[in-house]
Amino acid sequence: MGTSTLHLEIPASGVYLSVVRAAATGLAAQLQFTYEEIDDLRIAVDEACTQLLARRGSAETLRIDYHMEPAELRVDVSVEAPDRGDPLERDTFAWQILTAVTDEVTERSDAGGLHLSFRKHGGRT
Amino acid sequence: MTDVPFDAGAATDPRDPRVVRDPQVVRDPDEEDDGLDTEELSEDIARLSNERGVDRAYAKDLFRRFVSSRDPILREELVGIHLPLVEYLARRFRNRGEPLEDLIQVGTIGLLKAIDRFDLQREVEFSTYATPTIVGELKRHFRDKGWAVRVPRRLQELNLSLNKVVAELSQEIGRSPTISEIAARVRLSEEEVLEGLDTSNAYAVISLDAPAGGEDAPTVSEHIGSEDESLEALEYRAALGPLIAELPDRERRILYLRFFRGMTQSQIAARLGISQMHVSRLLNRTLGVLRAGLLAEDESN
Repeated sequence: MGTSTLHLEIPASGVYLSVVRAAATGLAAQLQFTYEEIDDLRIAVDEACTQLLARRGSAETLRIDYHMEPAELRVDVSVEAPDRGDPLERDTFAWQILTAVTDEVTERSDAGGLHLSFRKHGGRT
Repeated sequence: MTDVPFDAGAATDPRDPRVVRDPQVVRDPDEEDDGLDTEELSEDIARLSNERGVDRAYAKDLFRRFVSSRDPILREELVGIHLPLVEYLARRFRNRGEPLEDLIQVGTIGLLKAIDRFDLQREVEFSTYATPTIVGELKRHFRDKGWAVRVPRRLQELNLSLNKVVAELSQEIGRSPTISEIAARVRLSEEEVLEGLDTSNAYAVISLDAPAGGEDAPTVSEHIGSEDESLEALEYRAALGPLIAELPDRERRILYLRFFRGMTQSQIAARLGISQMHVSRLLNRTLGVLRAGLLAEDESN
């Protein structure tokens, strides 16, 4: 199985985070993630989205791309914010949370906006 | 602020500036819409009291005597003749996982409040007046118990049985189970299991995290020094400092062990002597509190 990708675009509001979480949960279940891995994943999704929502400025949507790979889910969250700084400072609690519950966190900002991505390994081995 | 008296007298007077045309306006603003339309209920109840033969003239006379004398015997009699109203309303809430008798008891508190406050000058049936107070009392009961979000009974039960199964399977296979393993054990589809697990974070399970204070102090005492140091350093840097400082000890400790010590939920669970699902709930709830605080701050800027 190669990579399958799923895109989700939600209005930039915390109200829709349950949908983002539910999608992540469903995909992780397909990848045979354990309950605990799924819980970590949900925390990461919440945290990444909340951080970008806090930086959304006038942006109206938040975009989430889920990339399913064998035994791994990669999630990219992005928002078209005019603000071009670091999406997330390394010395924040949010960064600490994200790095603790996932295997790799990356962030960048470009013309497309702010991006926050993470990888989470999982599944029965 | 649950039992706003329902001033139906005002609603009928077109000259009254307080005129209430839309029954929604009467609702407690922080109440979620749960499909209980007070006006519709009142109609049902009016019919109900006719059928049951509540003697209105008799009730009115009792009220008149009670208002002037405040005689507890009359009060008791008033409670007695209006108990069917409480039972009727309590039954509307019976699918939320609470025994009906308890609900009737809670509703009776609302009835007593309504009896004590009822004003005969108002040209309104007592049942119309009392309904919002009784319903308010019932709703508050659920809110206080943590079932702020209406969770169907089926999901409550599913969630409880999933808790058990996750714990059992973790024991048996020595790691956290997958969704398909859970589904196989409970003989449900993966979809249903996911729905049940989603429920666990839809409401705060306040009653589960029982004891405050003391119980886990000895096991982590060796870490308290470094823990405080690290959390304090963080508090200076992060906007959430005050929020973290306000957390209960156990929640702060779990936060620290998970995010700064890199311990897994299972490891934390073993250390604190609680289940992994319990750690999960506390963690999710704590993060929810912190995020809510963060976004509120963001919006006020």
